[in-house]
Amino acid sequence: MLEVTDLVAGYGKVKVLHGLSLTVQEGQLVTLIGSNGAGKTTTLRAVSGMIVPESGSVRLDGEDLTGLAAFKITKKGLAHSPEGRRVFPTQSVLDNLLLGAFPRLTGSRPRGDVEADLDRMFALFPRLAERRNQLAGTLSGGEQQMLAMARALMLNPRVLLLDEPSMGLAPRLVAEVFATIARLKEQKTTMLLVEQFAAAALEVADFGYVMENGRLAAHGPAAMLKNDPAVRAAYLGHAH
Amino acid sequence: MNILSQLIVSGIAVGMIYGVIAFSYQLTFATSKTLNFGQGEALMLGALVGLTTVNFLIGQALGTPLAYLLMLPVVFAFGLAQGALVEYLGVRPAVKANSEAGWIMATIALGIIFRNLAENIWGRDALRFPSPLPEASLNILGVRIQPMEIAIVVGALVIMLAVEVFNRRSIFGKAVVATANDRDAAGLMGIDTRRVITFSYALSSMTAAFAGVLIAPVTLTGATMGAVLGLKAFAVAIIGGLSSGMGVIVGGLILGITETLTGYYISTGYKDVPGLVLLLLVLSLKPSGLFGRATIKKV
Repeated sequence: MLEVTDLVAGYGKVKVLHGLSLTVQEGQLVTLIGSNGAGKTTTLRAVSGMIVPESGSVRLDGEDLTGLAAFKITKKGLAHSPEGRRVFPTQSVLDNLLLGAFPRLTGSRPRGDVEADLDRMFALFPRLAERRNQLAGTLSGGEQQMLAMARALMLNPRVLLLDEPSMGLAPRLVAEVFATIARLKEQKTTMLLVEQFAAAALEVADFGYVMENGRLAAHGPAAMLKNDPAVRAAYLGHAH
Repeated sequence: MNILSQLIVSGIAVGMIYGVIAFSYQLTFATSKTLNFGQGEALMLGALVGLTTVNFLIGQALGTPLAYLLMLPVVFAFGLAQGALVEYLGVRPAVKANSEAGWIMATIALGIIFRNLAENIWGRDALRFPSPLPEASLNILGVRIQPMEIAIVVGALVIMLAVEVFNRRSIFGKAVVATANDRDAAGLMGIDTRRVITFSYALSSMTAAFAGVLIAPVTLTGATMGAVLGLKAFAVAIIGGLSSGMGVIVGGLILGITETLTGYYISTGYKDVPGLVLLLLVLSLKPSGLFGRATIKKV
């Protein structure tokens, strides 16, 4: 469904990705793990159009999206919950969610039932329901993370990119975020998850890719990677 | 006491005009962090296009108040188009080329071109704009107020309120605010932020053009009317804060009232001084403006 082939991208003259390929199948939860600076966030940014790849291709349902502006890629049904949450601080929780549905509300994606999806988000994230009229900038870090995820889901995306949803959260909230991801997976949401908590990510994922210095170091079913001695030694924090 | 309240009332009308032009500066600054330094010329063109339209309609045997009302949509449409043109010709190329200051020069240049164009079409002399309301002053509690001065205050408040309601209520307005908050994140929502910026320039010039036809009946209309207004309103935008909605109203009123007071109690020759002194004070004591939030530029 999402096919990334030989992606080369970076910032100005600094190349970060040196030919990366990965595939996400419909209904799958795929995770991209690796140490800091391996190029995980850059991969997501190049896929969603926040940066323009130098070469390689990004395809969604067979359609070539390479080099399109981010807003056009979103209209094709790819949602990206970016690093650092990036909620709209001066707008209410509800308005942030409506902005997530912008292409649906303005006719460039099938409208569906926006009200029902709002209710679904409030059921998935009860804290957001309590704070629906509060400005997003006044939410706690964990609540902002939930809002960023819910906002991306409001697109009714074909595929959802999640960038480090656990970053900077207290352990209890990290567990909550992973529980939510597991629930989204049960609902057959197609996801590409970038995570620093490799063990937790491999626990929920179907398939995993391990990145190192802008290239793939390993890939395979999550259950297999979890037990791979090399992966365990390098990324799971313990070798036995 | 009576003369004082008289001066304050006159200052309020001028101040609201400063406020509404300063508000129009905020509109483009919010979404693009750029400004149209030819904003005074947008106001001037609005007033002159309005004048030609009103005179044409009066020539069709319409009464002045009706002609004035029918002229408004024409001026709005003209302002929208003129603002979009400024963004397209002056701002977009400079921003695309990552030029830090290119848009400053480009919008000043466009402003000068618009002024020359206006001088050639409407001449260099100041023209009289027919007033849609009676010119005789009303006497309210001993203070003489021109009906047009009331119209200025009401008109300025209505346009600012209308933009505010649009931004808060409609999904397109929310998209504008989202672009102002975080342009990249707005792009991820499927919002074409370049088009939002063009739109905010269009809206900004429309607001300035409206300010032009509001003030035209109480002042003289001509190719040079915009330059000083644009500059003073820029000072108001700095005083009030470029990102604070209500700050510009307060800033505008402060400047308008101090000007009329200085003009009467000191000398009309020093009329422009207090505003500039205030500007210098604000810049040295609170650079983000009286009501602006300090922004930390992340590197």
